[in-house]
Amino acid sequence: MNFAYDEDQRLLRETTRRFLEERHPLAALRPNLETDTTLDRAVWRDGAQLGWTAMLAPAENDGGSVSEQPIVDLIALAEELGRVLYPGPFLAANVVADTLARCGDEAQRKDWLAPLARGERIAAWCASGDGSADASAIAVTATPAGGGLRLDGHARWVHDAHAADFLLVACRAPQGETLALVPMPASGVGVRVLKGLDLTRRFCEVTFSGVQVPSDALLGAPGSAAPALARMANVASVIQAGEAVGAMERLFELTVQHAKDRVQFGRAIGSFQAIKHRLADLWIELEGARAAAHYAALALADELRDREQAVATAGCYVREAASQLAGESLQIHGGVGFTWEYDVHLFLRRAKADQVLYGDPSWHAERLCRLLEAEVKEV
Amino acid sequence: MDVRVPEVPASYDDYRRRVREFVEAHKPELRMKEKAGLRVPDDPEDVAKLRAWVRALNDAGFASPAHSETKLDPYQARVLNEELGRAGVSVVLGNPLVGGAIKLFGTDQQKAFYLPRIASGEHIWTQLFSEPAAGSDLASLQTRGRLDGDGYVVDGQKVWSTWAQFSDYGYLLARTENKPGPAGITAFILDMKSPGVTTRPLREITGTTDFNEVFLDKVRIPVENVIGQPGQGWAVTTASLAQERGGVGSRGAEDSIAGLIRIARATKRAGRPAIEDGAVRQAIARFAARSRIQRALGYRVATKAAAKELGPADAPLTKIWFSELNLEINEYALSLQGPNGALAEGDPLAWQDGRFQDAFLYARAWTIAGGSNEIMRNLIAERGLGLPREARG
Repeated sequence: MNFAYDEDQRLLRETTRRFLEERHPLAALRPNLETDTTLDRAVWRDGAQLGWTAMLAPAENDGGSVSEQPIVDLIALAEELGRVLYPGPFLAANVVADTLARCGDEAQRKDWLAPLARGERIAAWCASGDGSADASAIAVTATPAGGGLRLDGHARWVHDAHAADFLLVACRAPQGETLALVPMPASGVGVRVLKGLDLTRRFCEVTFSGVQVPSDALLGAPGSAAPALARMANVASVIQAGEAVGAMERLFELTVQHAKDRVQFGRAIGSFQAIKHRLADLWIELEGARAAAHYAALALADELRDREQAVATAGCYVREAASQLAGESLQIHGGVGFTWEYDVHLFLRRAKADQVLYGDPSWHAERLCRLLEAEVKEV
Repeated sequence: MDVRVPEVPASYDDYRRRVREFVEAHKPELRMKEKAGLRVPDDPEDVAKLRAWVRALNDAGFASPAHSETKLDPYQARVLNEELGRAGVSVVLGNPLVGGAIKLFGTDQQKAFYLPRIASGEHIWTQLFSEPAAGSDLASLQTRGRLDGDGYVVDGQKVWSTWAQFSDYGYLLARTENKPGPAGITAFILDMKSPGVTTRPLREITGTTDFNEVFLDKVRIPVENVIGQPGQGWAVTTASLAQERGGVGSRGAEDSIAGLIRIARATKRAGRPAIEDGAVRQAIARFAARSRIQRALGYRVATKAAAKELGPADAPLTKIWFSELNLEINEYALSLQGPNGALAEGDPLAWQDGRFQDAFLYARAWTIAGGSNEIMRNLIAERGLGLPREARG
């Protein structure tokens, strides 16, 4: 029984934490809160050297993980990135890397995956028309044309598409769901940065208007992508949970410290039971969220029998808890929590945006209910 | 990370078969119904049958691994726990927490005399801690012990003592020194047949009797029945209570979740099965998620325990998570049944003869007993997070 990070994963976390403290602490977000881009390419490239984009890629494509459970390595990283509300496309890069590693042919892995794993090229994931991970929400149509496909439609909530070197697009061909690679910039592709609640990251609307995709830029045959889409939703959900747990952990530390430091009525406010019990509840939610995220990562890494339930559990619990924790933390901070200058609102904004992206909690809950029904026999 | 439990090797099949046959041959037929939680029979004949059953298990080397001295390898312990669990009958009688106190603080004579008799079911124990005026604030207890020659004379009143009406011994806390709070409290072994001990069963909201009041009037306890040193009682208690809190809720609530799904299939809402109602589906899934997380929190505790890294907030976390989820699931099970949720045991229309109604009422035992959840939150905040203590009178 070992439900904790192993030695190498702990080391990975420490290295990442030191790197981020030096190169991208929370304070580094400040100058870019209201600008069009929050991504620092130099930090991204150096982060890639620490394994940020390599865990799910095979060694021959310049990938490699620290343990036999690369998805667990990934959430160890995700927690550290979440602690500083790191703005870059860590989730999308790994979802795309995983998909290329599993579905790409040799040439595609060499041309698209290897530079992604090395941090030289940035990938954006066009999952759906509404930011969910549900295949029914795909809003890009693929029409056979010139031996390949022609893409028309749109994808929304695409992380850092404005900075991307290529897109992985989920689209609907006559044969069914299909995955296509589009190098950027490309004729017929439009990118608009969305103005979002979350000030730390930039999401985009990507429009496709007669975009030509040659057949060698399709992952597998047209119509064969359904299993890949399901896998992508799972990987995204686990990474997202890891980032959320990291952010919860950091904000909770700040809040406990505030409760110890802030004096009213001649006493630290953390000595009042109204605050104390709230903090105890938040700690319970944090530990619950961490356990859910870790188990989902483990279940996916080891392909455990209950992995779908494990991912759905993390999907419907973790981000709701994160949002709850962020709101309560702001409340405990009192008036200063309402100021632009304090970081609490950055965590709150991140948590609220995260809650609805790539499959909202109610979508995961419905999925969990279906899985349970299949398990419970009639009376 | 790895939380997979290795399969029990086929070489243990024979051991499993022997335990199962033994259980089938000796399992008592009781008059008490299987109910939620830790329940006490109200029929003395049931108690006699249970004593015989626990003794038979012990003689055969099949006593509950957590409380026996029999040396088992981990696979044997697992097989034994699984097979005893299948029996659905108690395998430990009374409150066995005193075992931990005696193991940690007892004299060699106490260990040699009491521990094997707890395992064999010969001795049933009750816990004499809480008092009418000392619940959450246990350290304010007022039962007094006055040293008089080779013994103590004890006066006071205890409450919430499970099994006291059938117990041979009591694990008693009394104030032996004139100091307030935790200092000056001593832990005793009390022979429940001593003159001056009166036990009065309490009927609870469930309609059943699991707890008792115990009155102590000039009860003499010999000095050799002190556990640990005089005045050390608080340390003795803290050690055994931590075990109690950590022990609950390390599994999920899978059975109750399956129960909710079955109720939702069988109950109609606006002419359709409730299971087709989105709000119902969302609620059941949220409970299932928390149940699954409860299991993962169990892995967390087991991992920390193995590394000797358990902190003062860990047992309170497990206790709050389990008891509040359990309460909410049972509350929901009643509302999910519609008007039939207001039926109870004995009515032919009641779902599974009122199983969820009983569990709903009993659920409050878990949120209050063993340190109320409010006390648990104080422990998390003060000992776990290092927040300042609040002013106490």
